[in-house]
Amino acid sequence: MTAPSDTAVRRSGRITRIPWFDGLQFFLLVGGLIYLAVAGASAFNYNWQWYRIPRLLYREVDGEFMLGPLIDGLFVTFELSAWALPLSIAVGLITALLRRSDSFAGRYLASGYLQVIRNTPILVQVYIFYFVVAPIFGLSPFWACILALSFHEGSFTAEIFRSGIESVPKGQWEASDSIGLTRYEKYRHIVLPQAVPLMLPPLTGQVVTLIKHSSILSAVAIFDLTTMALDLIAETFMAFEIWLTTGAIYIVVTGTLSIVVGLFEVRIRRRGAR
Amino acid sequence: MSNAEPMTRARPPARRRLKVTLLDAVLIVAAVAFVAYLVYRVNAYLVYHWDWGRLLQYFFYYDPDQDQWVANLLIEGLLITARTSLWAMVFASIFGLVMGLCRVSHVALFRMIARGYVEFVRNMPPVPFLFILFFFVGNQLLKPLELTELAQAAPPYVQDVIVLLFGELNLLRNFSAAVIALALYEGAYITEIVRAGLLSIERGQWEAGDSLGLSRTSQLRYVILPQAVQRIAPPLANQFIQLIKDSALVSLISIQELTFMGNEIAVSTTRFFETWLIVAAMYFGVCYGLARLFARMERRMNRGRM
Amino acid sequence: MTHDSSDVADVAPGQPMIELHQISKWFEDFQALREVSLDVTSGERVVVCGPSGSGKSTMIRCINRLERHDSGRIVVDGIELTDDMKNITAVRREVGMVFQQFNLFPHLTVLDNLMLAPMKARKMSKKEARELAMLYLERVHIPEQAAKYPSQLSGGQQQRVAIARSLCMRPRIMLFDEPTSALDPEMIKEVLDTMVELAEDGMTMIVVTHEMGFARTVANNMVFMDAGEIVETAAPEVFFSSPESERTKTFLSQILIH
Repeated sequence: MTAPSDTAVRRSGRITRIPWFDGLQFFLLVGGLIYLAVAGASAFNYNWQWYRIPRLLYREVDGEFMLGPLIDGLFVTFELSAWALPLSIAVGLITALLRRSDSFAGRYLASGYLQVIRNTPILVQVYIFYFVVAPIFGLSPFWACILALSFHEGSFTAEIFRSGIESVPKGQWEASDSIGLTRYEKYRHIVLPQAVPLMLPPLTGQVVTLIKHSSILSAVAIFDLTTMALDLIAETFMAFEIWLTTGAIYIVVTGTLSIVVGLFEVRIRRRGAR
Repeated sequence: MSNAEPMTRARPPARRRLKVTLLDAVLIVAAVAFVAYLVYRVNAYLVYHWDWGRLLQYFFYYDPDQDQWVANLLIEGLLITARTSLWAMVFASIFGLVMGLCRVSHVALFRMIARGYVEFVRNMPPVPFLFILFFFVGNQLLKPLELTELAQAAPPYVQDVIVLLFGELNLLRNFSAAVIALALYEGAYITEIVRAGLLSIERGQWEAGDSLGLSRTSQLRYVILPQAVQRIAPPLANQFIQLIKDSALVSLISIQELTFMGNEIAVSTTRFFETWLIVAAMYFGVCYGLARLFARMERRMNRGRM
Repeated sequence: MTHDSSDVADVAPGQPMIELHQISKWFEDFQALREVSLDVTSGERVVVCGPSGSGKSTMIRCINRLERHDSGRIVVDGIELTDDMKNITAVRREVGMVFQQFNLFPHLTVLDNLMLAPMKARKMSKKEARELAMLYLERVHIPEQAAKYPSQLSGGQQQRVAIARSLCMRPRIMLFDEPTSALDPEMIKEVLDTMVELAEDGMTMIVVTHEMGFARTVANNMVFMDAGEIVETAAPEVFFSSPESERTKTFLSQILIH
């Protein structure tokens, strides 16, 4: 789900900006919430052991720098997402093209795939790929997970391609037809040059979605960041510290990516408004 | 197009003949080959013996003691999924409405709170989010309330109602924590739906309200919200379907809904193929059915407006 | 096909160019065209008028297959329009079309808009295509705008670029679908002047328009449509002074008195 991000709300022609006083209130409020959470935990005799957390991120053994299990998990998360991203784009592109094709078999296949993916939970899809597809085709767990993610995200990318292509006005299609371009030339010279700039920001936004959804793979045996967190909690019983650390790692990664995507979107929009 | 007289004639437009293209042929051959390979792998390579019958008893089974058919794990799980989703939707709608109004508020603090909430959820993976909130809400907010003890102290008929609405008493705290965690997750998306609905109302409507001297609250209450509701309803309905799918995630925090039951059955029977295909089919039935229903309702709503 | 320097059709006047034979077209249950028949010969200039929703646009959009007719026959320059994509493409390359909304390609410069089809559909070299494009830009009197993007031009200039874009395919027939309806009043004349020049060169044209002054000076044949039918066909002098049908009279009185 993407919505235009704006810090200023536009209404009745007025643009109200966030003044520093409200900013201060906001940070006081967030600080208060965090204090309440910590105080609340302490009141229940929760034994905070933050000093044990850095060891989960990195260690120094004999002057040698080693990554801790949480960072190892983060890299597995990256690896899964890095494979799933191009695959999901390929799945989405093929689906979008089949949906627009002359072939009825192609259209049925594409819409059947989309309906199945859209109407079942991603967790169940992961289980199906892990427990059903993987044994049938002799896939490793790692690849079962990547395929599950790719086919799930493929339904989103298919939608991005579809809406990008359909956002090219009808007149452009008719004008290309009327000057006698073939279907390939029409897409290559008229439709895609106009549609691709619109598709790029949501496609890059898919990276954030992929990283988020990869956490669901922790339900099966794959050693991503979330699985690592769950395992460590089972070992050390430091539920709060580890979850908050893990959450912070995710937020830093996805938040940074979101900001980059946002900047990218602004740039593309500015260039589009030639 | 304006047409003065009705333009329908007896002769219907000639239907286009179904054309089989080269791509059709290739795809059909590929699909048949794929299915054949699938069957070969399952039957000849894995030598898997399908046993659907065994799983049917997990829908309903015959209880000789009560001398009647009783719902079993799959149906129970489906009911708990429904219960979880409905309650989560109620709370998510409340969070979403409040935060959506904050999102377009004139007070910057409110906007920051709503924005912070939305961005947090949007950037947080669902599994850690649910775990963190489950622990926080369960241990810190709900523990002092002692819901289970409260409910157990209630008279029996009240207990019956509670069991019907919320499930078993001793699981009350877990259930509530899971519902609230899920609702907070979906609430962020509903916030954006509400915001988009409010912003989609033309500026002229606000200006007309301003010019009549209505307060901002009155403008919202009497002018904007009634119009926005019609635009919010369709995406909200879709978000409910999304919520049903996301509710599968609370199986990870041991809420015994459909996916959790699927896991139980798969492990205890070792019929992994059948179990997961059935569970997927059940979700598909529910979500697809609802999607069709909502689409039809939307069409009717639009027709009514014209 | 023709590669001579003029856009005058290389066929003798009077030879049939477009034959519509009893074509019908439905949109769902709505019948947009009812067994419409029309013959257009080479060099003929037909102006089509009628109330909105009468099927004028649909009719000319059938001629280059932007709409598929449901029954009847359409023959354009000896090629019958069927579902065969080869025939459709062949016809489209012989028929130029100018739209109400211009439909220039916003991501290409004016020059690239003009060069695209000659290079892709006619397989011309870049140099040839550029020369051709400049030739037609001069003919529509805006060669100085070649490097600009469509959004930088006025509506009248955009429409003239659109006309030049069609001419670059050296069409034997030009279709105009309300070419001045989306223009501000002060820009209508420059577009109509361009069309008059084109008519003087002997181009076969079908023009859907409400510009009756233009129709009087240019048309050899007036067609009045209503409710999906051709109600009346006549030479302009007859059409404007003594129309036969009541419906034509009503329509003319509505658009001429103001």
